[in-house]
Amino acid sequence: MHNDSSVIALVARVSDGDQEAWNEIIERYSPLVWAICLRYQLDRQDIDDVGQSVWLLLIEHIGSLREAAALPGWLATTTRREALRVLRAGRRHEHADLPPEDQMPPYPDAETIEEAVVVAERNAALRAAFAELPPRCQELLAMLASDPPPAYAEVSGKLSIPIGGIGPTRARCLSRMRRSPHLAGIVGGGASDVEISESGR
Amino acid sequence: MTPVPEVWDDESLIAALREAFRAREAVPAEFVQAGKSVFAWHNIDAELAQLTYDSSRDEDYEPSLRAEAASIRALTFTSAHLTVELEVTGDTLLGQIIPAQGGVIRIQPRDGGETTVTADEIGCFSIRPIPLGPFRLYCRTRDDLDALTGWITLDT
Repeated sequence: MHNDSSVIALVARVSDGDQEAWNEIIERYSPLVWAICLRYQLDRQDIDDVGQSVWLLLIEHIGSLREAAALPGWLATTTRREALRVLRAGRRHEHADLPPEDQMPPYPDAETIEEAVVVAERNAALRAAFAELPPRCQELLAMLASDPPPAYAEVSGKLSIPIGGIGPTRARCLSRMRRSPHLAGIVGGGASDVEISESGR
Repeated sequence: MTPVPEVWDDESLIAALREAFRAREAVPAEFVQAGKSVFAWHNIDAELAQLTYDSSRDEDYEPSLRAEAASIRALTFTSAHLTVELEVTGDTLLGQIIPAQGGVIRIQPRDGGETTVTADEIGCFSIRPIPLGPFRLYCRTRDDLDALTGWITLDT
């Protein structure tokens, strides 16, 4: 698990009653909670229920989180537990006459959930790294990462960068992003950036 | 899941960023907003009561007959010290705190505008009309037990 100092700072600010820091935690990690709920095939009402429970448990326990950097893992575990709770509450009575082992439909296996957690954490780290880039880099990378990717001529027109300048700017912005502490320890992020950013220029 | 190389090259980093944006956009704005609203509870010390029974998920549920109208939905919230049972009957939400004792029930709609009802000596209370949209109940008994329910939506 990566050691993200910005998470630690956010948690500390929330403990001090900072609503903005709380909002940032929600922005950053609601896709994690959402993605896990989808893996359990919860309907929207159940997802809302799980979300509320998870955030309430977080606000209740945030002062006592033993290790603030472990927040994503804590959220993943709590979301799983809450998802199982709503599933059990809903299904307990439906299969009451069956032997216990047949009462529950199969849940997603641990690997599937683990994968969702890894992806969601990586995405959160990427968005956090992106959010700390200079505005020009954000503009450019947001455009280049849009779906479908735009032609360079379009990028050039919208951002008033000469076409020839897009490649080098892009390389510089990506290189800067790669060095973000948010990506330290995330698969795909990493310290061996120098070589790549040099060759990208 | 996009395969992730040991270290992102420029193309794969852009692709990873695209996936990260897409994942964020897939989350409904109301879901995020509801999470932010939870901050209002940061200094509330109440014990959370979790939904432990919901008749709408129970195929065997047989509505009990009360004086005026048949109950169409029943919910139970349970915390370590308190149980709150709720029943929708017509345009009224009937509730009981267990163990039975008097107390105060604060009805807290997600959109604000809190109201209050009291529970009688045997813990019974009624809320009328039934709140529109999600709300939660904060119950505090005469013996200083308190419980905060999860969000409830009954007007669907």
